[in-house]
Amino acid sequence: MSSGTLARRRAGGRHKKRRGRPAGLWADAWHDLRRRPMFVASVILIGVLLLMAAWPSLFTSIDPFDARTCELRLARQTPTPGHPFGRDNQGCDLFARTVYGARNSIVIGMLTTLATAVIGGLLGLLAAFHSRWADAVLSRVTEIFFAIPAILGALLIASTFRDSEVDSILLVVFALTILGWPMAFRIMRAAVITAMSQDFVTAARALGAGPWRIMTRHLLPNALAPVIVISTINLGGFIAAEAALSFLGVGVRSPDISWGLMIAEARDRFQYAPLPLVFPALFLSVTVLAFIMLGDAVRDALDPKLR
Amino acid sequence: MRVTKGAWLVAGTALLALTVAACGSGAPAGGGEGGDTPVRMEIGEPKNQLVPGLTTEAEGAEVLGALFEPLVKYTKDRQAEPNVAESVASDDNKTWTIKLNQGWTWHDGEPLTAQNYVDAWNWAAYKPNAASAAHFFQMVEGFEDVNPSEEGAQPAAKTMKGLEAVDDLTIRVRLTRPNSQFRLMLGYTAFYPLPAKAFDSNGKITQKYMQQPIGMGLFKMDKPYRKGTDQVIDLSVYEGFKGDKPKNWKQLEFRIYSGQSAAETAYNDLQAENIDVHDSIPSSQLISAQTALGDRYHDDPTSLISYIGFPITANPAFAKPEVRKAISMAIDRKTIAEQVFSGARSPADDFISPAVDGYRPGACTEACSYDPAKAKELYAQAGGPPRIDLGYNADGGHKEWMEAVANNLRANLGIQVQLKPEEKFGVILTALEKHEYKGAFRIAWLYDYPSMENYLTPMFGKAAAKGGSNYSGWTNDQFDELINKGNEARTPAQAIKFYQQADDLLLKDMPYVPVFFHRINWGHSTRIRNVELNMLDQVVWAKVEKADAA
Repeated sequence: MSSGTLARRRAGGRHKKRRGRPAGLWADAWHDLRRRPMFVASVILIGVLLLMAAWPSLFTSIDPFDARTCELRLARQTPTPGHPFGRDNQGCDLFARTVYGARNSIVIGMLTTLATAVIGGLLGLLAAFHSRWADAVLSRVTEIFFAIPAILGALLIASTFRDSEVDSILLVVFALTILGWPMAFRIMRAAVITAMSQDFVTAARALGAGPWRIMTRHLLPNALAPVIVISTINLGGFIAAEAALSFLGVGVRSPDISWGLMIAEARDRFQYAPLPLVFPALFLSVTVLAFIMLGDAVRDALDPKLR
Repeated sequence: MRVTKGAWLVAGTALLALTVAACGSGAPAGGGEGGDTPVRMEIGEPKNQLVPGLTTEAEGAEVLGALFEPLVKYTKDRQAEPNVAESVASDDNKTWTIKLNQGWTWHDGEPLTAQNYVDAWNWAAYKPNAASAAHFFQMVEGFEDVNPSEEGAQPAAKTMKGLEAVDDLTIRVRLTRPNSQFRLMLGYTAFYPLPAKAFDSNGKITQKYMQQPIGMGLFKMDKPYRKGTDQVIDLSVYEGFKGDKPKNWKQLEFRIYSGQSAAETAYNDLQAENIDVHDSIPSSQLISAQTALGDRYHDDPTSLISYIGFPITANPAFAKPEVRKAISMAIDRKTIAEQVFSGARSPADDFISPAVDGYRPGACTEACSYDPAKAKELYAQAGGPPRIDLGYNADGGHKEWMEAVANNLRANLGIQVQLKPEEKFGVILTALEKHEYKGAFRIAWLYDYPSMENYLTPMFGKAAAKGGSNYSGWTNDQFDELINKGNEARTPAQAIKFYQQADDLLLKDMPYVPVFFHRINWGHSTRIRNVELNMLDQVVWAKVEKADAA
């Protein structure tokens, strides 16, 4: 990894020279990323998954929400033409269910990532930039949240509100956000504090820039990269967490489809009917892996120091 | 009623029990002295303290069955044969004389007397004690005095005038009207006696007794059981017991399993020989259990029936019989029995279990057969609701078959079905009792005593609609009248005729939809042999032998 990064930095350097003017952080990173096979592979995978989440009907003509497509008497049938993954324990088409399962996983992963980045990022910026008092309070609060084991905490929140009429998908997002935002907070706060000690901030201040201008023009752009990196990596983690909650029965609920739910439904008969468990598990692993790979690549490109 | 939370739920009256049952025996191989290590059985946590009048579900009944010995036992052909009682006799089915055998003693050595029975039954019937078995005594003269049916009314007496200990070994029971089923009932948990020591000076059962009951059965309790805290109940053979005793072992341990996958966990323990008897092998493991356990796997008929119930009085959407019939006809019982239960259940075709006399194969032919086209038509004509909720308890292994039923209804009726899993069955029952539950629900019934009547009165009788286990709220005066006629009939054959007429009213109206007749799937470890279940699906401990002590 380190030699690759070195090569990348050299390449970046050459690039700058060729273009004759210094490239910005983002252009540089993009140039760097395009050449990394890991990045390209993960982007292709994620592209397919996003397509699957947005238009699952492109992949299968069977609507898994139509109970008429389920044939209980054919339960656990192994793959046949038209049913490439076979059928699950209820006799429903496994491929269609797996494809439609992508949507909830990806929607939950993205919404949670967005929510944690926005909440954690804003609070981090405020804590670092504002009074010491606000910083102390917010930092202690995040420490409290850090002390809660994530899955256990999410389990508690999700099970507490599960009887309410709240949509089960939003509930999962809510539970994971509550426990996930401190990470973004810490990263943002550290990055802002580092940026604040830079000369250009002092210069801006000396030139009479107000706090709003300093925050938006100088601090935020310089502190954004690490938050984006950590969020991308966490996205995979949130998808896995959603599957865990659904598996435990407090996440997405039937008749909604989720990979975690499918795994839970298939586990008791795994010994003699492994496919209904294997396929959603495979999709889940590949998705999580793709997002983590993407996060890794973005991190290397944006912030070589983090390696 | 025994309500089962597990594989079966029963609601109602006296009988059944909950879920997963438990049994276990197990004797570790302990060299030549097999008698020292306990035989271990899996049970679910008893719902109440271990007192006969408080126990109307299967888990607690399994433990009490080891601590107490019933007045009568049931033979294979479902007759009551005298056990602790020497005889149970009546000329008119109205005044009954129960004579006790001589020489029975309590675990503390005190003799068992007729008064012990009278005390226990009066305690269970007395309204302030809020015993769940109280309704068993409502046919006794004077029940209304100790347990007035009016809400808030105070009892006028503490004892029923129809109950009398004539001498030390003779109990006389006068019923308000003739009841030919009375002798059969006496084998149930609710009719166990209580020793004088159980009561304090106010006639309440002491806390000490509740934790460590003194019984008169094969086993005595070695140490107090603190419900909710203790995960095992330890028993040992009472040497003064008058009946048969196990040949080569003395210790019995009930191990309590709880939580979502209790039955699965216990099944793993059975395979690892950490327990010796498991009487509720989960349906998903039935195929592997046959190979893994071989001839230690058993598949026996049981009296349990599962139904889909409707809150008829609480939700007008289910008021029309045609709606309920259409739902019944949309359920593909046969395929679910095969695919989900691997044949361990069979499609139900009557409200009555094949386990009792009076069952008629095919009684529910039209409404219980799978006919999607007709179901859809009927449902549309009757204006059935476009969306229904379907409730079940998540701890009893019901998810898969409830999903299958929901898929049937969605596909065949074209309606939306939302499954509503609840943590415990009690949540649904409590909401039903308050008439707050609006969705259809699963429910199951296990008999308390082997009589057809036990499938009718507790679930559909008018009296049971108030505080009993008539959860649909369906009532019918003609139905009650037929049951009474059956109870008063002189011969069992006559009684069954009336009961069947009452059953016909159910089949016409379908307050519940019969879904499956169950089988009990149980197994035991290699450490014991000669394991069998009695007619109440409890292990016959006296016959169990440890294999390693031979």
